Amino acid sequence: MTNAHGRKTRSGLPTRRRVFGYAMATLTTASLMSGTAYAQSVDLSKWSPEYIRSIAGTEKVDTAAECSKVVPLDYKGRLSVWWTGPNEASPDITRKVNDDFWAAWKKTYPNIATDAQNIDYNQLLDKLRTATLGNAAPMVVRLQILGGVEFASKGYFQELKPEDVGYKTSDFWPGAMKSDTYDGKTYGIPTNNETMAFIWNAKLFKDAGLDPEKPPATWDDVVKYSKQIHDKLGVAGYGMVAKQNAGNTPFRFMPQLWAFGGGALDEADATPTYKASQLNSAGTKAALQASVDMYVRDKSVPVSALTNTQNENQNPFIAGQLAMMIAHPAEYAKMVDLAKKATGADKKVADAVVENMRYGLIPKGPARRAVVFGGSNIHIIKNEYVDGGLDEKAAKALICFWTSPEWSTKLAWVDSNPGNLRGFKTEWMKERLNSIKFLDVTTSMLPNGIPFPVIPQATEIMNIVVPDMMQNALTGKMTVDQAAEDAAGKVKELLGGM
Amino acid sequence: MSIATGQGTAVLAPTLKSKRVGPLQRIYNHRADYLYVLPALLVMLIVIAYPVYYTIELSFFKTPPNLQMKDKVFVGLDNYATILSSSSFREVTMNTLIWTVFSTLFAFLIGLAAALALHREFIGRGVLRALLLIPYVVSAVAASYVWKWLYHSDFGVIGALAVQFGLTDKPINFLDNLHTVLPSLIVVNVWKEFSFAMIMLMAGLQTVPEQLLRAAQVDGANAWQRFWHVTFPHLKSVSMVTVLLLMVSNFNSFIIPWVMTGGGPAGASDIWITQIYNIAFGRQRYGVAAAYSVILFIVMMTLGYFYVKALTRGDESRAG
Repeated sequence: MTNAHGRKTRSGLPTRRRVFGYAMATLTTASLMSGTAYAQSVDLSKWSPEYIRSIAGTEKVDTAAECSKVVPLDYKGRLSVWWTGPNEASPDITRKVNDDFWAAWKKTYPNIATDAQNIDYNQLLDKLRTATLGNAAPMVVRLQILGGVEFASKGYFQELKPEDVGYKTSDFWPGAMKSDTYDGKTYGIPTNNETMAFIWNAKLFKDAGLDPEKPPATWDDVVKYSKQIHDKLGVAGYGMVAKQNAGNTPFRFMPQLWAFGGGALDEADATPTYKASQLNSAGTKAALQASVDMYVRDKSVPVSALTNTQNENQNPFIAGQLAMMIAHPAEYAKMVDLAKKATGADKKVADAVVENMRYGLIPKGPARRAVVFGGSNIHIIKNEYVDGGLDEKAAKALICFWTSPEWSTKLAWVDSNPGNLRGFKTEWMKERLNSIKFLDVTTSMLPNGIPFPVIPQATEIMNIVVPDMMQNALTGKMTVDQAAEDAAGKVKELLGGM
Repeated sequence: MSIATGQGTAVLAPTLKSKRVGPLQRIYNHRADYLYVLPALLVMLIVIAYPVYYTIELSFFKTPPNLQMKDKVFVGLDNYATILSSSSFREVTMNTLIWTVFSTLFAFLIGLAAALALHREFIGRGVLRALLLIPYVVSAVAASYVWKWLYHSDFGVIGALAVQFGLTDKPINFLDNLHTVLPSLIVVNVWKEFSFAMIMLMAGLQTVPEQLLRAAQVDGANAWQRFWHVTFPHLKSVSMVTVLLLMVSNFNSFIIPWVMTGGGPAGASDIWITQIYNIAFGRQRYGVAAAYSVILFIVMMTLGYFYVKALTRGDESRAG
């Protein structure tokens, strides 16, 4: 594979990858390191692709031995667990790792009868709310990083910190631990943490007269590139996602909003207070205007953006009908899978797209470069809300197993990164770095990660208020100003206790 | 006059006419009958009466996202006031009325046309009847996903065909447009429901006396006159029941709008039932959602009253 200048790219990675990596090494990790002891087994102050490579493979772990210190391996019990696992849109490798995990769990703790339910990402919160109301919840639940605080604030979760399952709090990203903390108490353990990256089709860039190896540097460039690609090639430029009540929407819009200096609250600040809405700030309005420019003025993004999640961007991208999108590192594996399944002329197009797929840092805005600090946390539900009662030992055994350096790395294989920072030091991390394309880019984005507000109202703000604001502006139901003010009013009402 | 029953003495009609019996006395007199239906009554109390009572009770409370249900705060009629004074209530109510009225109207009319067509003998009638029943038996969730892809604003089959046949220069925006989304969903709903109307009306057509139709024909009545003056009057009762059942079903319709648009874009296809779901499970305002449900319940009960009236009309006239 060659770049625009005909020079060979190393290992198929974009030539600027290393530049991005070095640049990221200089960026501050202060916001993610605040609030906890600075004694990580992984030194976050040195965070860079090179540092990650240097520590990968330096630590040997024995998961069964570690967990046996928490719960004996011959413990006999029962367990129920809900989580969002692989679905039909997941790469094959993710499904395989998931199967391997449950097989290994059964082998390690053969006497714990486990009822594990894989529940859709957009339905898990609703289902858990209903179950907790009816005292019919599972013992263990793994939720998106945004989801736990609501249940913790209502008193459904049992206190749970890494030390309870044999690990150290300092072995997890401080920003992730913050998402597990409510009212000074810890209610969960991070299983995985990730940041997304910017993905583009180099061939479409070239055909549209853009530098195929250079992603848009700013969000203004995204608007410009999207229009140029659409006008010249007739395909969608940027894969905007604006579906209502869907987590995919804030994960793609909030980086844009933060980059322009906006916020839902003050979550982008180093020491957020979560007291007042910033959805009517100039930064938010500028970000919203950029989206309106792409959707309404330039018509350079999919018309179906209002009903699309990221899953609906995958097929247009592999068909060469979409040039840019924001997604996980797993998107590359997904595209490889889709290309394998394509036939005839479609196969040729799909193979070309995979060959021309590039990853880069998410663009900057006038205020900053930002990305959602994402991931998932695992929690134990209190005995009185669990269907059939809680088996605490069985729950802790599973959580020890799941958040171990080994399985937090393996389960995050192409989708994410290990929540347990010791995972970065394992042989499996080394294998990932050697086998997964573009992993460096997404690990490089981690220090730019901004966690969603850690307040019970966060899910409503992010999954409903923000997408509603986008839809009101994109459909022309309201002007940008009206949509922003309307959203800020809703947040104010929410913070005021309804 | 009285006759002996297994449990006691039942008073016959002439005595009832002369002496007014209170409800408790009547229950006592029929205590054996009530014992027979007691298990069913208990089940109904648990699965219907209690949820209704709890929903009404909940509608007077506030349930903030950081409080458990047991810590809910009494707010009196605040939730009702919030709903009735909100601009979204007016918008959602208008959507609900449009959705219900047009879905019912078109499903009934198309169902009636299909029933009339299938009432005649012709080759392949059985096959056609089976084909027309398919939408009714297909899972609503599966149908919604299929229609969602047919309608897709960028890659939908309908939009692609429209472009190919030169009807439009770009794919039609069905689901991502404020003005087209609700009519698009109504089309899907009518497609799904018209078979039900067809079945009901086909059954009704069996009751039209053939002799009357022949007599009208002999008297020189044309096809329209035979339909309007002979067939339709015989279909009145079944039509009323069908329309009421369709209206109840459409007021409560959740799957098609939820799966296809989730009430969007920007609330343009939000109807009462999707709004209630969103308020309860998306925004965790169970009290407001309960108040909304009570309003919907009153509407449903009103329709239910007319439904029962329509069903028992014949009985009353016979009794009178």
